[in-house]
Amino acid sequence: MNDIVVRDNMSVAATGAKDFVTVHLAGQQVGIPVLAVHDVLNAQQITVIPRAPDWVAGVLNLRGRIVTAIDLRRRLGLPPLDEGKSSMSVVVEHNEDPYSLQIDKVGEVLSLENQLFEKNPVTLDAHWREVSIGIYRLKDQLLPILDVDKLLAFESNSKAA
Amino acid sequence: MDDLLNEFLTETGESIDVVDVELVKLEQDPNNKEVLDNIFRLVHTIKGTCGFLGLPRLESVAHASENVLGKFRDGELQVSESSVTVILESLDRIKEILAGLEATEEEPDGDDTDLINRLDAIAEGGDAPVQQVEPDTVDGEIIDPGNGRSLKAGEVSLEELEAVFANTPGPDDSVGQDDQSPANSSATDSNASLFDRVGGEDTLAVAAHLIGQRVDTDTKLKKYFEGTNQEQRKGRFMGLMLALFKDDIDAADAVGRQLVTVAGFGEAQFDTMLELVKSVLSECQVKSGVVDEAVMTFELVREAVINASKAVAQPKADAAGRAKAGAKQQGAATESRRSSQSIRVSVDLLEDLMNMVSELVLTRNQLLQITRNMDNSELGVPLQRLSQCTTELQENVMKTRMQPIGNAWAKLPRIVRDLTVDLDKKIELEMLGADTELDRQVLELIKDPLTHMVRNSADHGIEMPAERIAAGKPEVGSITLNAYHEGGHIIIQIKDDGRGISAEKLSGKIVEKGLATEDELANMSEAQIQKFIFHPGFSMAEKVTSVSGRGVGMDVVRTNIEKIGGTIDMVSTIGKGSSFSIKIPLTLAIVAGLIVKAQNERYAIPQISVLELVRATSAEKAGENDHKIELINNTPVLRLRNRLLPLVFLNEMLGFCTREDIEARETSDDFIVVSQVGAFTFGLVVDQVFDTEEIVVKPVAPILKDLDFYSGNTILGDGSVIMILDPNGIANKANSSVSDAAAEEDNEQNQVHLASGDEKESVLVFVAGAEHPKAVPLSLVARLEEISVDDIEQSDGRLMVQYRDTLMPLVLADPAMTLREKGSQPVLVFTDRQFTMGLAVDEILDIVEDELDIKLASDKNGVVGSAVINGKASEVIDVTYFLGKAFPDWLASKDMSIEAGVSRGSERLLIVDDSDFFRNMLRPILKVAGYNVTAVNCAEAALKLMESGAMFDFIISDIEMPDMSGHEFARAIRENSKWEDVKLIALSALTSEKDINRGFEAGFDDYVAKFDKDTLLRSLSQQFKIQGDAA
Repeated sequence: MNDIVVRDNMSVAATGAKDFVTVHLAGQQVGIPVLAVHDVLNAQQITVIPRAPDWVAGVLNLRGRIVTAIDLRRRLGLPPLDEGKSSMSVVVEHNEDPYSLQIDKVGEVLSLENQLFEKNPVTLDAHWREVSIGIYRLKDQLLPILDVDKLLAFESNSKAA
Repeated sequence: MDDLLNEFLTETGESIDVVDVELVKLEQDPNNKEVLDNIFRLVHTIKGTCGFLGLPRLESVAHASENVLGKFRDGELQVSESSVTVILESLDRIKEILAGLEATEEEPDGDDTDLINRLDAIAEGGDAPVQQVEPDTVDGEIIDPGNGRSLKAGEVSLEELEAVFANTPGPDDSVGQDDQSPANSSATDSNASLFDRVGGEDTLAVAAHLIGQRVDTDTKLKKYFEGTNQEQRKGRFMGLMLALFKDDIDAADAVGRQLVTVAGFGEAQFDTMLELVKSVLSECQVKSGVVDEAVMTFELVREAVINASKAVAQPKADAAGRAKAGAKQQGAATESRRSSQSIRVSVDLLEDLMNMVSELVLTRNQLLQITRNMDNSELGVPLQRLSQCTTELQENVMKTRMQPIGNAWAKLPRIVRDLTVDLDKKIELEMLGADTELDRQVLELIKDPLTHMVRNSADHGIEMPAERIAAGKPEVGSITLNAYHEGGHIIIQIKDDGRGISAEKLSGKIVEKGLATEDELANMSEAQIQKFIFHPGFSMAEKVTSVSGRGVGMDVVRTNIEKIGGTIDMVSTIGKGSSFSIKIPLTLAIVAGLIVKAQNERYAIPQISVLELVRATSAEKAGENDHKIELINNTPVLRLRNRLLPLVFLNEMLGFCTREDIEARETSDDFIVVSQVGAFTFGLVVDQVFDTEEIVVKPVAPILKDLDFYSGNTILGDGSVIMILDPNGIANKANSSVSDAAAEEDNEQNQVHLASGDEKESVLVFVAGAEHPKAVPLSLVARLEEISVDDIEQSDGRLMVQYRDTLMPLVLADPAMTLREKGSQPVLVFTDRQFTMGLAVDEILDIVEDELDIKLASDKNGVVGSAVINGKASEVIDVTYFLGKAFPDWLASKDMSIEAGVSRGSERLLIVDDSDFFRNMLRPILKVAGYNVTAVNCAEAALKLMESGAMFDFIISDIEMPDMSGHEFARAIRENSKWEDVKLIALSALTSEKDINRGFEAGFDDYVAKFDKDTLLRSLSQQFKIQGDAA
């Protein structure tokens, strides 16, 4: 759980900036609003649920709570993680139910100026456009931000899945 | 305090709160029957309980308002604002009395005649002029001075209070400070209203100053305030008044204890001080009403002040001692406010506790595992202790949820005793199995129903002693409660040896209340009629007594029991007594689960649906007596005690492998879990069976709700999460995949396919005369009888038989057949209203499930047409023909016969009903009558049919359906051009005038009661006629 590297500038939290946890997914960095994150866990034992939508990785036990694990790679249309590599979990809540987003690796916490923010380019892949709030322009790369609620709003897309 | 009273107070308090809210709802929506019923029940319960506890004041108020509510419910009175106001007022009065009760354990004195008169006036003549309640009628008793008045935001300044205390130097200052801190923290949300009306801080400052000064000049008080200077006194009075007027009792208590520093300050001195305060406040231009109220608040600290003075009297008493005395007293005060041996804990909290404990157990297990591998660890002993504690903790937490049912019975003996006195009856209450445990949540929910039922038994069931002796029964009646486990359920029986429930008396009541017509009742069995006591709005008592008999009783009981997934049944014999039995699940959360394995994953199957476990040996190795899996046309089955058991492979079900994989794999032993879902028994083949564990069912995440394989998930002892299989869902899946392999491929297609009328139904196949089989829908057959040939008589050239005290005509099913010469003749009995006829056949062959799809219409008398049933062409007989033959007046007796009115097969009919029962009942009746019937189970499916271009002449639709109600459906159709002209007939159990009107508004052409078959047929034929005439 100490994998979050806290940057010096985090405490600055200047006005007009927001904090994000970055996670690695198939070489891409993605941001999750820091306030949405409840827990960050190392590899967990996940019980597979047969016949569930393929982007449901299974369920896991988080201190007595049953958490539904979402395979973020699949959800975003990325190739599955290489065999033998274990994923990490970022636990978020949606409608008071806990969900764990399975990611490759958690990165760091960034405080990003609002002026770096931009809306999704219209050409963005549909998988991403659906669940991304927008994109921050970092120096060396672009950081799409996940909209956790949209990501987990299964009611609308469960039928399609 | 008496446990009973205490419970009553808590319960009634809760009920009143609910009624408050509901009444307001009712006022806004006076036609909401549900809300009204709810209010009525709650008030009824309050009234009932008051009677038992001997609280005449409460009872009379509640009784009067219940009267008014009863009139509302029966529609005799309109819900009006003024009447609701009076009822609300009566609720306030009840609250007031309750507060008095809580404080003194006795009903406070008071006069309610005015209120009751007004309520009675409303009950009798509608809107009596409502006397406006004077504001603050609650004189003297300040129950909640702040409540209802506006609160100025942020008025209470803690700093102020603190500053006041800080400015109060004195010998016991430090103690005071210590005492303040908790008080201060609780002052945060206190109310500022009285404070405001007195005139705020400025007035108080002046008053405090004056009081401080006057104390010095008052001869009676002077000596008690010696040792403090004027400033100090001012500070203390200021603090005291601030706290009191802001309704912060704790703070006031603390300040009060510091007020007097000299011994001997008693009641008289306190009164003098109050006089002083009163006069000072009046001088400060505070209104006299407010002054009284303000002075009254001083009563709250009377004890504290006097006790503090007493404490001073003990010369050795140091500051710490005093603090202790104060604390003790404060504790006592708190206790008196809510004295009770138990506290109410939310189930959520218990659930959380249980979760945490399971987590603790897991961690303990891990630790044990680790130390087991370490030699000579120092951890051994403490860990052992930890382990033990954990186990005990776990057991106890589990226990918090389970309670013996005796707890729910605890107040019954008293209730029965009081009843015997009230009613002059002699009743003995016997309670068996009181230590049967069940979940506390369930227990809570059945408590009231049980009480109600016992009360009913005592009131209505048991006769008066004289009556009993006359009937040859022992003088003392008995009511027996019995609780026991039975197959994962708890059965509770309430049995009395009273007079039983008279179906005759009930009938009168039923007709009177308009719940059914006499004709309908005539066709009902005694048991069916007795069941009417569960009907809402039905009362058994001949007169309304204060004990019971408002007709809310059994209705409430049934609702409450059904709410927790239970059922209630009743058997009653006139003169012998009645017996109610309630079947409820053991717990709502914990079930026994059988843990099985498939493809390296474990699953739980609820033990309740597991019948047995069978081990099947692979076909090659199997000996003569071994169970083995066999295939019929690729369908796996198991021979189990001469029955074929359909099998389902869990691996295949869950998509781990295909059937081919299973067949191809290395043959090994299989475990078969024989499960039962309803009437369907099947075997679930799993890889391995572990053991049974108690599992806590947790709901699955919303995303998985669509998967009907699982009913939940759970965490096992080792910390892993496993899914709980839902045998229901698996059975459904198995059924659909067995019956139609292609079903899965195109679900939508399947839906339409199903809807076009290919549903299976039970068909009775028999032979008569000719060799080829004949068939009739089983739903039309009332009974199957074997009638001795000797009993068959001839009269007027017709065959007759004496059957159930009447003459039943016998008709031969085929002109070519002859009756047997001896032995007995199989007879199908058909009943239509008062007409009962027997159809003699040669032999009854079978009852099969098949489509009744009439391929060829017939012009032969008595035959509807031919259909392929069970692979054979069979004649489907026309029952109406035979009825007409047996009773020449039968056709005429029908007001309008649908058979006569229309040409067969030309009318297309759509039945929309979510109930299988009704679909299955209507379909064959209408189909045999010659209509082209299609049935769907929901409005959406019907609309889909419409989109797909299907056309109907009539639609019979249920009103209450999930997702889309009949009304919405009707509107949708009326708005849509395609089916605009289709006749719509509503079919519903809701048959009040209001409901019917709503139906017509929504666009229905006719409205038919669901349980009324005749009216439905009549209505149909009427509609058909109109249609036919128009065409």
